[in-house]
Amino acid sequence: MACLSDETLIAYNEGSLGAIESSQARDHLLLCPYCRRSAAAFRALDMILSTPTLHTPPARLIPQVMSRLYPAAARITSIAAVIAASFVFLVSWIYIYFDFSGSSLIQALRLTASGTSSWLADVIKGISAIYDGAQAVSKALGALLRFLLPAPLGAIAAGIAIFALSGLLALTWFRPRLKRLNAKRP
Amino acid sequence: MQLDEDQALIKKSLRGDRRAFEELMRKYEKRIFSFVVRMVRNEETAVDLTQDFFIKIFTVLDKYNYEYKFSTWAYRICYNLVIDHIRKNQAQVDSLDDESVSARDLIESDNVSREDGFKALSRDETRDYVWGVVDQIPLKFRELILLRYIQDLKYEEIAEITALPVGTVKNRIFKAKEILKKEMEQDGLLV
Repeated sequence: MACLSDETLIAYNEGSLGAIESSQARDHLLLCPYCRRSAAAFRALDMILSTPTLHTPPARLIPQVMSRLYPAAARITSIAAVIAASFVFLVSWIYIYFDFSGSSLIQALRLTASGTSSWLADVIKGISAIYDGAQAVSKALGALLRFLLPAPLGAIAAGIAIFALSGLLALTWFRPRLKRLNAKRP
Repeated sequence: MQLDEDQALIKKSLRGDRRAFEELMRKYEKRIFSFVVRMVRNEETAVDLTQDFFIKIFTVLDKYNYEYKFSTWAYRICYNLVIDHIRKNQAQVDSLDDESVSARDLIESDNVSREDGFKALSRDETRDYVWGVVDQIPLKFRELILLRYIQDLKYEEIAEITALPVGTVKNRIFKAKEILKKEMEQDGLLV
């Protein structure tokens, strides 16, 4: 009998030959050392191929995909944080610089608080004590600020702060969009 | 309808669960990346293509048909993406396919025959050698070997992905194995 073709040997190893062909191939393999070696080589090759070394992708791959897929959520969070920080900064700065602690609005709030029920009044008193402490600190800071920065300079400083915060906001908002636009260009 | 693990993750992803999609990516990233890197033979390009693949999957996730296996659907998208890239960069691929295979330096001078038909290389060396040869065979054989052994697909699934008849897939894989065996014999790696 003629030697088995490579195709037959591979199919024999895979078990995809019909019953008669498979039996004939087995009989031939018992007698032919050349085909036996060939079949063993294909079996070995199959075993090696079946256990491939998988390449590990760089760790940055998934985070980069996630940031491309979910840019909006991340941006909205960061923009909200920037707006909140800007608001707190500006309000604090105006409050301290212009010393609104004695303003009628603040006084009215304190009077309203003292007119409420006793347990709430106790809570408010506690908060008020903390507020007084903070007020003393803010007054001192305000005095220092006014000493260091006369009114026009104060306005300039506030302007710079607003400009810087707006710039930060614009960068946070526009940069990823510009990047994506650039990436789409051929 | 009973959903498998992948399909459950898809459902969650479509409901906006970011972690579910991340989990799906983690499950497939190694096999996809290995397939892509062996197809394009350039790690940086493979990273870009793998990222593009996941983004593509995400954007068409709502078109996924739950009657089919997710992996087959995903591999088809991956295969098409890579083939498109290769076609656009055909010259580069052709020049790589022309490179002659040589791994004789892997062979030790005092080889001793082993029962599995390979000469005495360590298991890892043999695997590296064989996969090194796979990297060098022509694309039409390589892609099928990768789908069969990296993605662990059946002939029928490969036929579906590549849009080739099952008979052609089988013949090309047989042919690829013949080429690999021949290369190894030429390099003196087979007994």
